[in-house]
Amino acid sequence: MDCHRYQTWGSRRDFLGRTGLGLGAAALSGLLGGGAARAAGGLPGVPHFAPKAKRVIYLFQSGGPPHLELFDPKPLLSERFDEELPTSVRGNQRITGMVSAQGKLALQPSKYAFRQCGQSGQWLSDLLPHTQKIADQLCVVRSMNTEAINHDPAITLLQTGSQQPGRPSLGAWLDYGLGSANENLPSYMVMCSVPSKGAPDQGLLSRLWGSGFLPSRHQGVPLRGGNDPVLYLSDAPGISRERRRLLLNGLGELNSLQLEASGDPEIETRIAQYEMAFRMQASVPDLTDLSKEPEETWELYGEAARQPGSFARHCLLARRMAERGVGFIQLYHRGWDVHGDLTGRLPVLCGDVDQAAAALVTDLQRRGLLDETLVIFGGEFGRTCYAQGGANREKYGRDHHGRCFSLWMAGGGVKPGLSYGATDDFGFNIVQDPVDVHDLHATLLHQLGIDHEQLTFRFQGRQFRLTDVHGKVIPALLA
Amino acid sequence: MRFSLLAAWLSWAGLAAPALAEPLRFNRDIRPILSENCFHCHGQDASKRKADLRLDTVEGATALLEDGAALVPGKPEESRLLQRLESSDPEEQMPPPTSHRRVSREQIALVRQWIAEGAAYEKHWAFVPPQRAALPTAAPWDREPWDAWVRQGLARENLRPTAEAAPSAWLRRAAFDLTGLAPSLAELDAFVAAVGARGESAYREETDRLLASPRHGERMAAEWLDVARYADTHGFNNDSMRSMWRWRDWVIEAFNQNLPYDQFIAKQLAGDLLPEATLDDRLATGYGRNHVINSEGGIIDEEYRVEYVADRVRTLGMSWLGLTMECSRCHDHKYDPVTAVDYYRLYAFFNQVPEWGEDGRVGNAAPLMAAPTEVQQEALQVLEGRIEEARRGLPKGEVEGRPLGEVLAWLQAGVPEVAEPSGAVLRVERRGEQWVNAHKLEPSLGGQVRVAEDAALGPVMAFPSEGWQLEPGHFGAASQQPWTWQAAVRWEGGTGVLFSNMEYGVVESSSSHGQGLEVRLTAAGGVEVRVAQKWPAYAIQLESAERIRPGLWQQIAVVNGGKDQAAGWRVYIDGRESEVVVRHDGLTGGVGAKGLRMGSASGAKPDAFCGELADVRAWPRALGAEEIGDLADGVYVRLLRGPEGMAAALGQLERLQAVVRRHQPRTAAAERALRGLEAERLEMKRGFPSVMVMEELAEVRPTHVLRRGRYDAPGEVVTPGVPEELLGAWPTGAPKNRLGLARWLTQPEHPLTARVVVNRFWQQVFGTGLVKTSEDFGFQSEYPRHPELLDWLARDFVEGGWNVKALMRSIVLSATYRQDSRVSADLVARDPENRWLGRGPRLRLAAEMIRDHALAVSGLLRERLGGPSVFPDQPEDLYKGVVVDAAYPGTKWVVSEGDARYRRSLYTFWKRTVPHPVMNVLDVPDRESGCVRRSRTNTPLQALALMNEPALLRAAGHLGQRMQAEGGAGDAARLAWGFRLAAGRAPGEREAAVLEKLLGELRRSYAGDAEGAAAMLRSGDVAAGAAGAGEAAAWIALASNLLNLDETITKN
Repeated sequence: MDCHRYQTWGSRRDFLGRTGLGLGAAALSGLLGGGAARAAGGLPGVPHFAPKAKRVIYLFQSGGPPHLELFDPKPLLSERFDEELPTSVRGNQRITGMVSAQGKLALQPSKYAFRQCGQSGQWLSDLLPHTQKIADQLCVVRSMNTEAINHDPAITLLQTGSQQPGRPSLGAWLDYGLGSANENLPSYMVMCSVPSKGAPDQGLLSRLWGSGFLPSRHQGVPLRGGNDPVLYLSDAPGISRERRRLLLNGLGELNSLQLEASGDPEIETRIAQYEMAFRMQASVPDLTDLSKEPEETWELYGEAARQPGSFARHCLLARRMAERGVGFIQLYHRGWDVHGDLTGRLPVLCGDVDQAAAALVTDLQRRGLLDETLVIFGGEFGRTCYAQGGANREKYGRDHHGRCFSLWMAGGGVKPGLSYGATDDFGFNIVQDPVDVHDLHATLLHQLGIDHEQLTFRFQGRQFRLTDVHGKVIPALLA
Repeated sequence: MRFSLLAAWLSWAGLAAPALAEPLRFNRDIRPILSENCFHCHGQDASKRKADLRLDTVEGATALLEDGAALVPGKPEESRLLQRLESSDPEEQMPPPTSHRRVSREQIALVRQWIAEGAAYEKHWAFVPPQRAALPTAAPWDREPWDAWVRQGLARENLRPTAEAAPSAWLRRAAFDLTGLAPSLAELDAFVAAVGARGESAYREETDRLLASPRHGERMAAEWLDVARYADTHGFNNDSMRSMWRWRDWVIEAFNQNLPYDQFIAKQLAGDLLPEATLDDRLATGYGRNHVINSEGGIIDEEYRVEYVADRVRTLGMSWLGLTMECSRCHDHKYDPVTAVDYYRLYAFFNQVPEWGEDGRVGNAAPLMAAPTEVQQEALQVLEGRIEEARRGLPKGEVEGRPLGEVLAWLQAGVPEVAEPSGAVLRVERRGEQWVNAHKLEPSLGGQVRVAEDAALGPVMAFPSEGWQLEPGHFGAASQQPWTWQAAVRWEGGTGVLFSNMEYGVVESSSSHGQGLEVRLTAAGGVEVRVAQKWPAYAIQLESAERIRPGLWQQIAVVNGGKDQAAGWRVYIDGRESEVVVRHDGLTGGVGAKGLRMGSASGAKPDAFCGELADVRAWPRALGAEEIGDLADGVYVRLLRGPEGMAAALGQLERLQAVVRRHQPRTAAAERALRGLEAERLEMKRGFPSVMVMEELAEVRPTHVLRRGRYDAPGEVVTPGVPEELLGAWPTGAPKNRLGLARWLTQPEHPLTARVVVNRFWQQVFGTGLVKTSEDFGFQSEYPRHPELLDWLARDFVEGGWNVKALMRSIVLSATYRQDSRVSADLVARDPENRWLGRGPRLRLAAEMIRDHALAVSGLLRERLGGPSVFPDQPEDLYKGVVVDAAYPGTKWVVSEGDARYRRSLYTFWKRTVPHPVMNVLDVPDRESGCVRRSRTNTPLQALALMNEPALLRAAGHLGQRMQAEGGAGDAARLAWGFRLAAGRAPGEREAAVLEKLLGELRRSYAGDAEGAAAMLRSGDVAAGAAGAGEAAAWIALASNLLNLDETITKN
């Protein structure tokens, strides 16, 4: 987990270059006071060019939200209800074990209507009434695609650039490259929520916010509910704030005596990290204390935001993190794996996320933060245009589909009011402007001022990067 | 001090001038530049080679191309390579600006000098077998012969070694390195005294003591578990539990026994293939199965099976070859001379495992085996002894020794016909022209089965026939209900289904393929049970160890306990329960009642039974051994009474005797006692832990080169093999399997294995290997800082019999290791990472050691070697919102009770997708794949965990109490005692003053705050004691600070 960006020194060597050794207790007390201008950490030369966005809020919808119900209307499916998916359309697409036994791949229309919204006239589902209202802010990409057809590899690809475990997550790369804008908070934070009703299904994996082969300080810090919003943040009952200060003074003095004796600059870093921990004990509760949020906040985000652990609450916290300079804010909402009961569960899931996600965009905009904050909303793949089980107008499900899916972005210098890319009349194949996962990553890094080919880390004898040997920035998406 | 620092310093001073005159060496100075910047496009990967130019071979580099030769030895100005490197024209410049690679001016100057000096290429150092170079002249400073290399390196850098560390500092360091725990205060005192009395020999004795401690195996194993990606769960998003701790314990034992490292390799790679492989040999192959396994529904099986094989190749490459083999999975290696064909030839060795891509949702994935612990093996032996004794002591019955005819006559009278056990739902009988169920005469049966007349048993069912279909209303064999099925069977050989409702007709990729239940005979005559949700991944598969024989009427009974676990099943042959071999125990849920077919499976794989069935019956309950014994004896006696009774008797004489004993009042008790002991043995065996192991398929699975590494793009077929030209010939006579591979890897002249292994042990102690890139010894590796030392150690290691303890002993006794870790600002500036080894190692302890040390000094640590993984404190809600929403094993963390809560961290349950949070912040890898180098970070989250983690606070509580109770009289003594316990040395004067001041402040702070003090006592999990709550609270808080000291969590 990271810290180097809010610590004074990037490394022991830097520290030595600047301060020399043999700090006594007196010098130490100056050190402990903080206050001096602090470097942001990160790599020299990064960003590579002037960034459009300073931070990312990724509203990840885990499980595979159905593009055909939410973002990509296909009237033809209604006309050809229950007909077999033409072989010419299916091509050589891999079919998962879930439906390979099914006799028929029966075309399944969306039960939910779409309408054109805003000045831009973007098509959005009636399941997302609040999102419809911010249509003009959104850049909807309908031509996302992924090689992966199962959750674990697909979500791992979206979050780390590789289907195989072991690579650093998006946020870890940014943390490594960019460092932090806030010396008192982790710059990469993670929040996970489950549906308000029904099963959350697929699990998440800590590798999704892990640091892979980067040093582990770059991993995301999960923000939790309850008294310990960051694990082990709260002092034990019986250790008041004053006592913690006493203890840290004593600890700092002892450590600095050891530093004097041994000369190991790592001790200096350790002293600073304990002080950072002390400051976090104040700054994190300040972040999560919502008591001063005005009534209109709750109106905007919805009553669900009063519920700790809800997606709406996390959207509100994301805004507060953005205000405090957290660089990568990762949300996960689970439960989108609607194989059998899409119609039963989709209204619940959309109810969980629609208002809050739209509120976040609106809130950022009115605070002047949207331009510098890239918001992304989407999952790891889409869902099939044929039903899992039998086709049915009212009650149906859909299987995984990687060939095309949709997501939206807002702010951060992407083009608002745009629908980008197109799928065929079945919503099965992309017919125009495909964007693969590496392209999305390249574009995201670009908005943060990073050339995706130049942000590298040497591991096992080669220079690794988020986009591996792939990826291209999609200029058409940019404002 | 053993030598004059001044004299030593003077001798170095003579070498002070930088060795400018030394000629360049290709491997050290040039290859890294070319490899990093050129080989990507001008290396061995022909498919990506640009301009037809190859710079990794001298032939390629000097070849005359259109615009001249890249390299003209001796003539830098004529060499196109240099021109292109120096060019600033973007069209001309190399590497091209788009590559984002940059060659520095200094590097270009080196290339120029190298060309001027003749541009000599060298074979990559790591591909040449290690050679013992002549040692530099010995000096008094040296303690091990190889210290001379370090001394020489320091001299060359114009550095000098640091003075030797104090004996107590050495002991603490060596104890952490060799055992993972600090010495006790008594051990420290004893050692310091011993050094005073016996000098150097005290070091040797102490080292031997540490190496002999069982803790040594735990310490060494902890490192190996990272490399071998050990975990207690399968990974991926279901991440359910597996059982591999028996393998982990094998590793601990291997290090404790000092198993020669070549055998350590051979057993893990191929223990199953060793001649007369023991249980331990097979167990060791768990190394090959520690990889992640995916149980996500709907995945494509082959895609993941291929991943597992690839993982084995990657892990082998990393563990022992020091090559990034995985780079050649999709294309020829960009840097190293390893092609995709080389890769898949190595892959072929590991491609022969009878395994599936989708498996492991609720337990171990096949192949697996029962692996009793040593204690269990001993208990089993004792029980075997008792059984043998009981068998020998069986009383002779009245009929013993009498003519067979008399015995049969006795049986006629002595064995009464028993009534059918109550509650039966099925008994197949011939009525008229039909087979019917005597218990339910509804005409719900179908299919055709021939009738045969048996002299003793009457009309019996004869197979092969179409099979006899039974509707579920009669007997549907649901998996979650207990039931018993039994029949008399006369088998004519071959595999054959006794009854089945498995749906083999559903396509294999479907999640319901093979759903159902089946009892069948194997070709060897074993009784096999299959229960599957999806065959074969989510299934129980077990087979009786006892076999039936062809041509004889024998009874088979199968009892389902209704638990959906292999341990719930019983197989009886002739009324005696048989041991079973569990092939798979991964049923994910119940299988409901469905129509059964007798004598054949339905659909695609009928696999019809050949032989006859009689007395087919079933009950919706689990019959006991007595009832089944009666049923078996009933049929047997009918056979004995029949016209072929004599043959039935002679064919199964032992059975006959047992039946007689069972029914004679005088002998029945002894027979029952024997059977009771046998049942006890079976029960014991059912409790044996399982472990996943390597096995070979009966028929070789062909291996293809997979284009772009894709499972569905097979290319040319390859045979198993290794890059012989590069790394040495295949040993004569070695089999072309994993065992041969192990022999090849461990042949004395292998250029890589010993170097890689020795380097990793060095890294374990000094924090950085002699080759920093300990996972990669290829072209992209770092040139070793002390090549002669690495080779010396490698040769010593091999020639000394791959002796790990000897290597570790040599390291900790060396002058290099014994240096103080104190460092001057100048030395930090000149050698920040201590690569020239001019001081002793000073490194933050690994996660496991930090916690173990805290538990040890507080007295909470409970030491016990091995056993199932344990669940120490962890936040209750850690999995909330994260783990899969299903009740798979391994998705809940229930804190262990009693001692298990305070075991060494090595034994903490390792859940791959959500590792223990304290371990996690302290840099443990996720173990999703192997890792040979942990990062070592220094973060505020570590500070928070060490300050506030509940178990560490409890450790502080107990340490605080110990200081008061055991630390002597008065604050100063107690503080010094605690400080020494934590940091391994007495506090200095100023440190003592800080401690006393802090204690005073804490006392004052708690004195007026009864509530705060009480809360602190609760956190520390201790009682107030005589001095009152405030006093105790102050000590707890102070002890917590001691556990947070930099020195406490550092190997110094």
